[in-house]
Amino acid sequence: MSKECECPGAKMQDFGKEEVKGAEEGKRASQLRQWPVQLHLVSPEAPYFQKADVLLSADCVAYSAGDFHKDYMKGKTIAIACPKLDEGQETYIEKITSLIDDAKINTLTVMTMEVPCCGGLVSIAQKGLQAAKRKIPVKSIVIGIRGGNVLSEEWIS
Amino acid sequence: MQAYLNAPIKEVISKFPKVADILNGYEIGCVPCSVGTCLLKDVVAIHNIGEENKAQLMYEVEKAIYPDREVKRPVINKAAKAKPEILRYSPPLRMLVNEHLLIKRLLNCVPAIVKALKEDTVIDKEPVIGAVDFIRMYADKFHHAKEEDILFKYFDEKADIIQAMLNDHVEGRSHVKEVLNGLKDNKIDAVSQHLSAYAELLTGHIKKEDEILYPWMDKNLTVKQVGELFDKFNAVDNGLQRGVEETYKGRIEDLEAKFIQK
Repeated sequence: MSKECECPGAKMQDFGKEEVKGAEEGKRASQLRQWPVQLHLVSPEAPYFQKADVLLSADCVAYSAGDFHKDYMKGKTIAIACPKLDEGQETYIEKITSLIDDAKINTLTVMTMEVPCCGGLVSIAQKGLQAAKRKIPVKSIVIGIRGGNVLSEEWIS
Repeated sequence: MQAYLNAPIKEVISKFPKVADILNGYEIGCVPCSVGTCLLKDVVAIHNIGEENKAQLMYEVEKAIYPDREVKRPVINKAAKAKPEILRYSPPLRMLVNEHLLIKRLLNCVPAIVKALKEDTVIDKEPVIGAVDFIRMYADKFHHAKEEDILFKYFDEKADIIQAMLNDHVEGRSHVKEVLNGLKDNKIDAVSQHLSAYAELLTGHIKKEDEILYPWMDKNLTVKQVGELFDKFNAVDNGLQRGVEETYKGRIEDLEAKFIQK
């Protein structure tokens, strides 16, 4: 495959020589309040999903966003998935619909990376919402590969 | 400068009239506001003009207040004053903005309704009665109720911006009451005057909410609160008589057919 055709999601990039700035002192507590977290494994019947604010995050986001726990996970129930590599994505859509209709979640925030393949997670969320009887606010946050900065943040429902 | 940042905007404008021109240049409409107690720093913070425009505005205001002082001019990216930011709202606030669209369609009919009242030899009160019914049931009971009974309670209701909006609601209701009194007493001049005043008041009010209040609120609402508001607004809509949106949309279409689409 020529370099021009490389999928941005898989294209090798080396940030190693760039200076990383940021406070490194202290220790932050984990904001994880549940187990499991993978979308195929979680159950909409779990108590931590009932009327919750849910964060649906692409697998890679937590490695890019330096303060993922503090800024995004805190106060939310989480599920993670990879829209490019995971199988059974129809099940994902059904699960989202069940979270909305059965667990009656309050909101859904979808976090993805800027690479095009991640957009599939937003599509899964939107299809789950379309199939649901209830309607809820859904937000999309896109994170940059370099530095984990927020490239866009908007309500999409 | 700190003292003026913490002063009510009406006080700053009366001492330094040039500040009014500066604010108008950034489409910040504080001059005609009936309350005028918002602090200068809050006026600048609440409006959606972008960080670089805010820095430039503060530079111009400081030069207007202290013309002999050396004030550092901010570095401006020319693109900052280009296209204004497209306003996007959270789902509950978008519901309110969409309701504004129907209210604005009624307000658009008012000049023609008033013209007919003044010029027609036989006075037809039905359009005015229809307009008042729309205002009371849709604009007030359906829309303003969501704001006053639900949305504003998520903020400090004593905040100047919220008080300004509530004052507009009170003034609007007063105009509607005078329209009804005028109809009852056959005082068509009073009906025309108060209907026109209501339309002018609500036009400015809706612009303030769409362009200033709602974006500011969206910046200050948590995701959890957005979900709660969406749920509560839907509960209000579902609790009212079924089809209220369609009913009043039909009334507006009738008024438009009679007064606009001639």
